[in-house]
Amino acid sequence: MKLVGIAGSIADQSYNRTLLNFMSKHCKGVADIEVLDINQVPMFSQDDDQTNSSVIQKLSNKIKSADGVIIATPEHNHTVPAALKNVIEWLSYEIHPLDGKPVMIVGASYHTQGSSRAQLHLRQILEAPGVNAVVLPGNEFLLGNVKTAFDDNGDLKDQRTIDFLDTTLQKFIKFAKVINMIDADDYEKEDLSATGKTDTTVEGVDMDDPDWLNKAAKKVNAVEGNTYVKLDSGLLTVNQLNYMLKTTPIELTYVDENNQFIYYNRFLPTEKMLAKRTPEQVGDSLTTVHPGKERVIKHVKQVIHMLRSGKTDLVSMPVPGGDSDHHVMHYYKAMHDEEGNYKGVNEWAVDLKPIVNEYLKQTGQMLVPDPNAKVDATSGASKKPDAPVDATASASKEETEKEVKPEVDATSSASKH
Amino acid sequence: MNKFIAIVGSNSNKSTNRELLKYMKKRFQSAAEIELVEIKNLPIYKKSADKYVPQEALDIANKIEAADGVIIATPEYDHSIPAVLSSALAWLSYGIHPFVDKPVMITGASYGSLGSSRAQAQLRQILDSPELKARIMPSSEFLLGHSLQAFDENGDLKDEKIIKQLDGLFQDFLDFVNISKQLNNANEINKQKAKEFSWDKD
Ligand SMILES: Cc1cc2nc3c(=O)[nH]c(=O)nc-3n(C[C@@H](O)[C@@H](O)[C@H](O)COP(=O)(O)O)c2cc1C
Ligand SMILES: Cc1cc2nc3c(=O)[nH]c(=O)nc-3n(C[C@H](O)[C@H](O)[C@H](O)COP(=O)(O)O)c2cc1C
Repeated sequence: MKLVGIAGSIADQSYNRTLLNFMSKHCKGVADIEVLDINQVPMFSQDDDQTNSSVIQKLSNKIKSADGVIIATPEHNHTVPAALKNVIEWLSYEIHPLDGKPVMIVGASYHTQGSSRAQLHLRQILEAPGVNAVVLPGNEFLLGNVKTAFDDNGDLKDQRTIDFLDTTLQKFIKFAKVINMIDADDYEKEDLSATGKTDTTVEGVDMDDPDWLNKAAKKVNAVEGNTYVKLDSGLLTVNQLNYMLKTTPIELTYVDENNQFIYYNRFLPTEKMLAKRTPEQVGDSLTTVHPGKERVIKHVKQVIHMLRSGKTDLVSMPVPGGDSDHHVMHYYKAMHDEEGNYKGVNEWAVDLKPIVNEYLKQTGQMLVPDPNAKVDATSGASKKPDAPVDATASASKEETEKEVKPEVDATSSASKH
Repeated sequence: MNKFIAIVGSNSNKSTNRELLKYMKKRFQSAAEIELVEIKNLPIYKKSADKYVPQEALDIANKIEAADGVIIATPEYDHSIPAVLSSALAWLSYGIHPFVDKPVMITGASYGSLGSSRAQAQLRQILDSPELKARIMPSSEFLLGHSLQAFDENGDLKDEKIIKQLDGLFQDFLDFVNISKQLNNANEINKQKAKEFSWDKD
């Protein structure tokens, strides 16, 4: 579970920040808690709308892609600190990233009463219609007498307090799962026909035109040849970029945030590719790329939705139909701009078997089946949808599936069984 | 004549809460001198090792000290007072205590029908905290709902019933201020207590 933590203080030293950092450290394995910084957020003002500033956008994107939010609030004058309220105002004005988001409130204060009044105000604030967060009911976690609560490493000293915090967090994780289920079908909304547009969409050229590349390039006066392009860590001409990409021995594909397939690094002729693409497909919407394949379309939608919503940054899966000489993997990596806005999928296909063979040869080893292996031995780490998909290839590999020899079963995909 | 400081609890240029206070200043000019004070240039409250308070907050504190009472007009943002007002009150209680025993009248305007009632309820609790300890006028509430439609082109309230209610409450506030002046025997001690009160010790 991916959570973000917000400490409601901009002071250089804050026990509430210490508390969140402790939770993040302590709960590794149970939840992945990223503590966000609110120090640079400007004062809310309707007359000076900074919703689009990078601080606010970053915060908003982090919250949107999290499964839940933990807010640690100090208490000032019987209420939440102005700095915390200020952030919530920005996040309830032109944008509403907390809408429907599971939130858990905790608080630390110098006193025994420990931020109880601030927590109550915060609940009222979070439930206002413009915020509309879903706050975990009950389960107040008040850390009183905070000045003596932590040791030098920033760890809570009292085991009973730690146990209570664990129980509360467990409840929150269950709560967040239930709340997030409400949106489980959201992937249906992915528009693979790319009928929307983004700031880089080329208008006035039919996406499905086989000559889209030339027509679209002309439309935007695209540079080519020996014109220099400044990259974030280098300066290359368009030709040099092509030289490099076309000798990168991995099939790379760019699908933009509007679900339009706009590039692949044609280093092999179509018939030799692991995930086949043709130059005429460039520019196509993803629907055109997968004509009439309901099942594939559904899985592509699930993958893209997971990446767009930030549920995961990487989806990986083996392409079915491997044999002892091939183990083709597909990777889908979400791309983001500086502010964390989703910018599309970097998709790559690579055959791992030659790499493994090379390694075995160099180190004088050989593969033997693992008697204890679970089926899905290789795709474990990242999330994946029900079945393998290829977001851009027109012919999904499942149609060319071959028999697999028993000894490679352990490294092959779950869908084979 | 009584002198009141009227705090505009919004940093918006077209604040209806500012309009309300301007209207009160005009309407009650023969009964009291009302000076509008803006808080929109104050930075966000931040604790520091040397307890620094910006000069602008000190200036406002001095005005409050010198005044017979304070009127606050608060918008409602997310069912509570705006961060800019909460921040100003934090500065005005950070090592300085201008609000202690100061008579305060709470008013507020909102676009909806509830007229900032939830924000006002929180504001009462805030003003009652140990380092503010204001004397809030009891059992009185002035809620101006539908505030965008409430004023005519001269900035005057349109609804006679609301004007009558405001007149009554303001008269009550004048009486409250006068009674308050007679209840000031403990003021020295109360100020001292606020000063000695520190969240940093137990
Ligand atoms: C971030 C934000 C949150 C708001 N939340 C509320 C609210 O909870 N209740 C309400 O009545 N008005 C809300 N409003 C509208 C208020 O701006 C309006 O009602 C306000 O009290 C008008 O005050 P002003 O004219 O002095 O700016 C909100 C406005 C903003 C910008
Ligand atoms: C101006 C001011 C007002 C405060 N008001 C309260 C309060 O009302 N209730 C409370 O429990 N602590 C209050 N405190 C002390 C807080 O307990 C303490 O600042 C904070 O909650 C600790 O969290 P932090 O270390 O994350 O800032 C106040 C501190 C200051 C400087």
